[in-house]
Amino acid sequence: MSAGTTRVALRRDGSLDLSVGAFSPKVLHRGPQTARVALVGTRALLLAGDHVDVHVEVEDGCALELVEVAATVAYNGRGGPAARWDVHLGLGAGALLVWEAQPLVVADGADVDRDLHADLDGGALLALRETIVLGRTGESGGRLRARTTAEMDGVPLLVEDLDLRETSLRSSPAVLGSSRQLETVAVLGRRVEHPDALQLEGPGTLVRSLVPGGTSACWAAVRADLLTAPRGTDTLPPT
Amino acid sequence: MPLRHTAASFNASGSPDLVLALLADARLPVGGHTQSAGVEPAMAQGLTSAEVPAFVAGRLRTVVAVEAGTAVVARHHVLAGADLRPVRLAWAARTPSGPLRTASENLGRGYLRLAGRLWPHPVWATFERTPPRPLVLGAIAAIAGLDAARLVRLCGHEDVATVSAAVLKLDPLDPLVTTGWVLAAHPLVEELVTRCASLTDPGEIPATSAPLVEQLSVQHSHAKQRLFHA
Repeated sequence: MSAGTTRVALRRDGSLDLSVGAFSPKVLHRGPQTARVALVGTRALLLAGDHVDVHVEVEDGCALELVEVAATVAYNGRGGPAARWDVHLGLGAGALLVWEAQPLVVADGADVDRDLHADLDGGALLALRETIVLGRTGESGGRLRARTTAEMDGVPLLVEDLDLRETSLRSSPAVLGSSRQLETVAVLGRRVEHPDALQLEGPGTLVRSLVPGGTSACWAAVRADLLTAPRGTDTLPPT
Repeated sequence: MPLRHTAASFNASGSPDLVLALLADARLPVGGHTQSAGVEPAMAQGLTSAEVPAFVAGRLRTVVAVEAGTAVVARHHVLAGADLRPVRLAWAARTPSGPLRTASENLGRGYLRLAGRLWPHPVWATFERTPPRPLVLGAIAAIAGLDAARLVRLCGHEDVATVSAAVLKLDPLDPLVTTGWVLAAHPLVEELVTRCASLTDPGEIPATSAPLVEQLSVQHSHAKQRLFHA
């Protein structure tokens, strides 16, 4: 089912627009142009045919951190339609969005289509940590297709279609091999130095790990760095 | 740098099958022998020869689709006299690994040198010095009269043949076995033709990613001892 769009928009004047969808946004911290908002699930996620739609907007010069309280499990759809998870991120000039998504666990029999699109204006910074787990304990996991597109000033920065729907493709030693987990820290808008990083041609870096917690230290450093960097306006206090 | 050209003339002469054979020949002087298509870093991390066919299949359905799709769209753009910059940007956004972009650009330089001599055409003057390989392959196809399906076959065959040739240098194996891999991959290469041959728009280029290939390419670029660049 569709629960409507979850919306978090931090406006240039510092006002915050929030709408409840599959998640209910709860304000944890407010500054003149900064906010920390928790996304709290309003119901059991993620069932066959569910359509989760999340829109996040951070206008020019503002800084927003999103936090999630719990992992999401995509349950066995028992042959039903795929669940859709759409995320649209819009960052104005000089805006900052930091989002540590909790793991998406794709249980046996689940079928998930995840689409994330980010539009960045010049000087915007996006830091996103995502964790995909294929299967709960003892399972090999369901089907997941995760598409990510990011544009900076209308120029494609990252276009990725991670197709983990078929076991034969997913378990290829070119794709995930025997791993059932993929963590990604994406920093878009500037590069981050890291020995194993994928440095995009444009300003952006992906740091990935196939082992649980493999990006924890990197994420902690990136998050602290971005949240405490001097900004034109107020900064978010690191928790 | 502007990649746009005008007044393109395409004097396709000769047989497209012979052009395909020429371009698919491992003896083509473009530096292909320096590449392992990711199999050296994979074997350094424990990939066995027995697993190579699954490795090849994974590549053909992911990163090779990016390569072939880029080549096909580049071919279309050259034939239409359109700017190649959006094609290049689409390729770069779909190739997150710096070492893999560099490997493609090193090969692209070799193909560009070859193409400028074998198929003189004003379009070459619009290329930057190190264009990614699929951009040059697409332009060669446009100028030398290679259709999109043959161009995709070239990209698919090239990848499997590169892996197979590289494995022989990394693991003593009967060359008949590795040649068998190339033949066995034909159905997947034909799937790639179905997927990519009719693409025209840079936004349609497949973006299928292969996290292990990408990750290992970065580790390989730091390796002190290696036979192949990537």
